[in-house]
Amino acid sequence: MTHRTKLALTVAAGGLATALALTACSSPSATEEEAETTLRLGVVTQLSSFAPWEASWANESPYLQAVYDTLLRTEPDGTVIEGLATAWEWDDARTVLTLTLRDDVEFADGTALTAQVAADNLVRFRDGTSQNAPFLAGMTSAEAPDDTTLVITLAEPDPALPVYLSQNAGLIGSPAMFDSPDAQTTPIGSGPYVLDTDKTVVGSTYVYEANDEYWDSESVHYDNIVMTFYGDPTALMNAVKGGQIDATNLQSPTQIAEAEAAGFTAQTYEQNWTGFLLADRDGTINPAMGDVRVRQAFNYALDREGLLQALDGGLGTVTTQVFGLSSSAYDDALDDRYPYDPERARELLAEAGYADGFTLVMPSNNFVPESVFAIYKEQLDAVGITVEWEPTGDDLFGRLLGGSWAAFSFLLQTDPTSWQTIQFSMLPESAWNTSHVADPTVIELAQIVRSGEEADADAAARELNAYVVEQAWYAPVYRPYSAFITAEGTEATIQSDNAVPYLWNIRPTE
Amino acid sequence: MLTFILRRLAAGVLTVLTISVLGFFLLYLGARDTARRIVGDTAAPEIVARKQQELGLDRPIVVQFFDWAGSALRGDLGRSWFSGQPVTEALASRLPVTLSLTIGAILLTAVVGTVLGVLAATRRGWVDSSVQVGSFVGAAIPGFLVALVLVLVFAIGLQWVPATGYIRFTTSITGWLSTIILPIIALSIGAIASIAQQVRGSMLDALRLDYVRTLRARGIPNRRLIYDHVLRNSAGPALSVLGIQFIVMFGGAVVVEQVFSLPGLGQTAVSATIQGDIPLVMGLIVVTALIVLLINLAVDLIQGWLNPKVRLS
Repeated sequence: MTHRTKLALTVAAGGLATALALTACSSPSATEEEAETTLRLGVVTQLSSFAPWEASWANESPYLQAVYDTLLRTEPDGTVIEGLATAWEWDDARTVLTLTLRDDVEFADGTALTAQVAADNLVRFRDGTSQNAPFLAGMTSAEAPDDTTLVITLAEPDPALPVYLSQNAGLIGSPAMFDSPDAQTTPIGSGPYVLDTDKTVVGSTYVYEANDEYWDSESVHYDNIVMTFYGDPTALMNAVKGGQIDATNLQSPTQIAEAEAAGFTAQTYEQNWTGFLLADRDGTINPAMGDVRVRQAFNYALDREGLLQALDGGLGTVTTQVFGLSSSAYDDALDDRYPYDPERARELLAEAGYADGFTLVMPSNNFVPESVFAIYKEQLDAVGITVEWEPTGDDLFGRLLGGSWAAFSFLLQTDPTSWQTIQFSMLPESAWNTSHVADPTVIELAQIVRSGEEADADAAARELNAYVVEQAWYAPVYRPYSAFITAEGTEATIQSDNAVPYLWNIRPTE
Repeated sequence: MLTFILRRLAAGVLTVLTISVLGFFLLYLGARDTARRIVGDTAAPEIVARKQQELGLDRPIVVQFFDWAGSALRGDLGRSWFSGQPVTEALASRLPVTLSLTIGAILLTAVVGTVLGVLAATRRGWVDSSVQVGSFVGAAIPGFLVALVLVLVFAIGLQWVPATGYIRFTTSITGWLSTIILPIIALSIGAIASIAQQVRGSMLDALRLDYVRTLRARGIPNRRLIYDHVLRNSAGPALSVLGIQFIVMFGGAVVVEQVFSLPGLGQTAVSATIQGDIPLVMGLIVVTALIVLLINLAVDLIQGWLNPKVRLS
């Protein structure tokens, strides 16, 4: 090797070493930022829109809570408390909700919050393209008799309305956003933080700075928040293990062990259920499914513990009910109404006249691995329910909600209030009552839940839950765990009615 | 030369137009439930219908095409259906990230690949064997695996650099370098292997030619012989491969950007495709086609500079 070659190689090696050393020294430095506190929050869902009338919620709530206030808020246990509204009251018919708003709130552009602005936001949400727009579908008007009084009138009672007003339906943006072409990417709210659009990369990283004029300064725990979207589970875990995140949801409970090994604290909670909707209760599509004994047989055929272990590593709770843990309808005795009993399933099928079994066509789709459908098929085939999976491609939801199948497998959320669940999938007009079955008992009990006094409504909700479980309207399998992790130095309180802790409940450890 | 450039540009523009038309119709005809993907899986049918109307998806496809094409010719690629951000703005914010990655990778590839190829061709023996084995391994190992190993060792294990994320060059040069160095290495490995082999092969062929023996007989120093004559004459094929590798790297950037969570075009391509965000996908198609056009033109011009015979033909 010549001298020149040696020299060249030495210089190159030195250059590489220097570069690495410099980069190690240059990591986003606590020294530079030690005067300010920053929450580095991982988010597992991209933000669809900052425009309140298009806003989603759940996993997207942190993006929105940073810049907006809602009319009401909820405590971690789901109790509704003050937000922009300091008081609220139903009339006797429970169709008119009157809210008193704060008079000291300004949006980031200096516009004052008034009841008329709030009313306009509500109307826009009702008429907008948020998937939760139906929350306000029953709202006939939102009026502002004065600057601090907001009157919401409903066509029929809706006991879940206060909860909706604590979520995306209650997001209040500045009127300057209403006709702005940039409303989706440039929020103007009254919230605890302001979006730094220069540092933000839409769809990837959102940087917020604390709003020094915020009316609820006690709920602001950081000078800055950096929210980073992680679509890839490996990238998320690399960021966790690399110490780049202070708190995040996990995309799967199977990541919990890895996160805890990296020094994070994991909190688990259950906010979804997975299983089957046995939609064809009238037997219109498949006559067999119109018989309650057949639907009960379907439930007995499922080895729920085995499925939970096989599909989610045991990370969840088996169940046979679809109401949420925090709802008034929930009854833990109904979590095991249908123990695994293939023999009982066959007996019921024989009683119903299907001793030789029957064929049930259900949709498969690309959201779920083929192996999952194979496991379900095996258990149902074993009792005589021969499953034929029909591939649906991209047209799944159109056909699903159009009532194409007698039954189908899905993952749905459990709602914080009983009325939300009833409205979502049990009423004849409910989108997820895909066969639009009108059951008089369900309708009668639902009406009490909707309009009755609290004690009566709660009792009716429990009775309705027991009824739909007994009638086997569904075949839930389990409630999978969700997990939220926090690094040392950060703590969070799980929100019972949301996929992510509310932003003001994520704070530095004291 | 000017005529050559203009001719190539005209052909390139025609190519971009053709790709855009084909891409548009393929995307639209293959799209299902786009509005539902935007508003949410559990959205009620009336909400989906509202969104469809808002986005103009209920219009005939030909009308939608001419609407898009007319705007595109005026430089307006529309807005992302999912985020509402203007497509040009979205691409402009992400293009520097991908260019940092791919230009860095191609420079590293050119330098390291050439050095290895020259060493292999001139040293022979164990050096040549090592380069060949290394090239084989480098070509065989998937890029994402290299990326994961690099993250595990240097970011998570040694914590020398961040595991994910991107710091802009304008914010901090050393910060930018810290976030881009591992992705560049991950993206380069396969290309270095390819270039090293190409340079090695071309040089071995060139070293056997009579003019080399003549130059040696005239007393030309070996170093000057290798770098001023042999390498220059051998560079043509390697340059063509380098051009192709640059284009391949744009595809490879998709995986690397996902692993390192870099907010570049690759990450955007994945999410836009999954979401069915057609305006954004169309913008990506147009930008990518233009980049390929410019790369091919640059390769041709450099080939012409290296080898005058190419200019004459």
